Amino acid sequence: MTTHAGVGEASADGDRLADSSDIIIAENVDKWFGDFQALDDVTMTVKEHEIVVILGPSGSGKSTFIRCLNRLEEHDAGRIVIDNIEMNDDVRNLNAIRSEVGMVFQQFNLFPHLSVLSNITLGPQKVRHMPKAEAQHLAMQHLERVGIPEQADKYPAQLSGGQQQRVAIARALAMQPKIMLFDEPTSALDPEMIKEVLDVMRELAESGMTMIVVTHEMGFAREVADRLVFFDEGALVEQGTPQHFFENPEEERTKLFLSQIL
Amino acid sequence: MADMPVQQPPGRIVLPPYRQRASRPFSVRAREWIRRNLFPSTSGTVLTIVAAAVLGLLFIGLIWFVFVDANWRIVTVNRWLLFAGGFPREEAWRLWVGMGFVFMLIGLTYGTWSSFGRRDHIFVAVAGAFVVFIMAHGGAAIWSTVWFLLAVGVMYLSYAVTVRIPRELGPARTLQQRVVGGLLAASLPLALVILLSGGANVRQLDGFVLNLVLAPVGIVGGLVIAIPLAIGRASSMKTISWTCTAYIEVVRGAPLLGWLFVALFILDDVIGGELIVRAMVVMAVFTGAYMAESIRGALQALPGGQFEAAHAVGLSRMQALRLIILPQALRISIPPIVGQAIAIWKDTTLVTVILPLRELKGNADSAIAQTEFIDDRIEAYVFVALVFWAVAFMMSRISQRIERTLGVGER
Repeated sequence: MTTHAGVGEASADGDRLADSSDIIIAENVDKWFGDFQALDDVTMTVKEHEIVVILGPSGSGKSTFIRCLNRLEEHDAGRIVIDNIEMNDDVRNLNAIRSEVGMVFQQFNLFPHLSVLSNITLGPQKVRHMPKAEAQHLAMQHLERVGIPEQADKYPAQLSGGQQQRVAIARALAMQPKIMLFDEPTSALDPEMIKEVLDVMRELAESGMTMIVVTHEMGFAREVADRLVFFDEGALVEQGTPQHFFENPEEERTKLFLSQIL
Repeated sequence: MADMPVQQPPGRIVLPPYRQRASRPFSVRAREWIRRNLFPSTSGTVLTIVAAAVLGLLFIGLIWFVFVDANWRIVTVNRWLLFAGGFPREEAWRLWVGMGFVFMLIGLTYGTWSSFGRRDHIFVAVAGAFVVFIMAHGGAAIWSTVWFLLAVGVMYLSYAVTVRIPRELGPARTLQQRVVGGLLAASLPLALVILLSGGANVRQLDGFVLNLVLAPVGIVGGLVIAIPLAIGRASSMKTISWTCTAYIEVVRGAPLLGWLFVALFILDDVIGGELIVRAMVVMAVFTGAYMAESIRGALQALPGGQFEAAHAVGLSRMQALRLIILPQALRISIPPIVGQAIAIWKDTTLVTVILPLRELKGNADSAIAQTEFIDDRIEAYVFVALVFWAVAFMMSRISQRIERTLGVGER
């Protein structure tokens, strides 16, 4: 497992060659918002079935980074390759990438005018052109997986925050993505609802899904992650196994962050 | 059970007197309400008495005017002039068919997405009795009354048929919604075809019928123009957003009267055609600019996460707009859009000012010009005002109904 720490060291040089089991490759990615540099030369790869948790103070670029991975933000420099598909201005590539990458947002972003079931069937029906009955069957399977099949005919506003986030996870899963991105999925939830969402994510991790999770849930990070990545001021500062990370972090900034949060 | 102490409430809660209203007899509550709201203090009592006196005088004056003083013959004698003016009587079947069709649509729509309540029945009864009273008064051909009552019957019949179909989602329900929705979408073009397919004399729509045709064309046409305009104005492509902004600002910058001059003189050279068609185009173009701004406001009010979530499940930009953004934005903008609709409904009277077209108010002017009725202008205008108010009120009620129906699951 120390190889991950090794990856971190090598990536500082930016010359590590991607190998074929890497499903996500980001090389020297820069992102600017006006004069503010949100991402500064970020290089990172993720293997298939790997669970990566990204940590960092707010404004450190961790959300921006995973939003670049399905092009909700356009990166300004560098290269991003998802499952051998180059992220560029080609719309076909973009659509192919988006249908392979599911995303779960901090604010759930469910479609309030559609029922829970329609929220989930929309993507399969409109993007994958799946027949309605089949899409509904699939949606019910995923609702059962996240534990709330009885809520199918309700509207999002009638659900609790935890239930809404589980619907959002089911919605993303219904597109049968290879990769799931989680952007602070529990930050907007009341404390008693955090566990139900984390349980779903844990089950998803055990099933072999490739996941990148931005979170402040240290328990989840320690227990589920294969690798932790620490961002600060738009740069990837340090990465390694949870053990490495929590027991002997190398960088001063990492130590400072952990001392504040733990 | 009663001796189980666990089952007992933990001590009887005694509410303070001001919270006990519900338990006191009605007469006591009524007396208290009157004292608190009408006679709270000396000055309040004076105000109440003065207001009651003024309102009472106004009411007595109104009753006196309506039932004693007014000469409503100007309305009953001129009812065809007010209703359809120069529209040829032998073509009147087009109007009756159109009316029956509209009433059927109302019945179908309510039966599919809503239901008639007690207030709706009262409104139909009062408005219907009013119409029948005017038609029966002064000896109109009995047929107009029959056609009108037949149309009301069609409305209730189509309502009774559709309201019985269960609301649960299923193939039958989907088919019902598609059929009624399709009829609604096709209704305006269809009505225009029925009304305008005859010779030149038929196309000379007149009186209240002209208002009833111009306003829906302005409202629906405006909406059709407004949606792409609103989206275009929010576009990141500068040429598109500038073009849309320019359209909106230029059209809003001049009054409708000015644009009707354009219809009269400039459009005649550009697109030619019937004057009434040019008036319709101007109505739609004008309303579209205002409605576009209402929709743009709603677009901006939507959280940005909606677009992102739509992209994240793989929807294209067009799909996201059509399936996620527009349904929500249009729901938010129903109140301002209905406001525009009511405004354009009343603005249909302006065509008489500029164009040689005679709508309801214009024909009321003609009725007053008759020597017999020269003293009855107030009666004529009160009648016109009442008709405009009734339609505007109906629009406002329907908009509230739509809002409530669509409000399901809203934040």
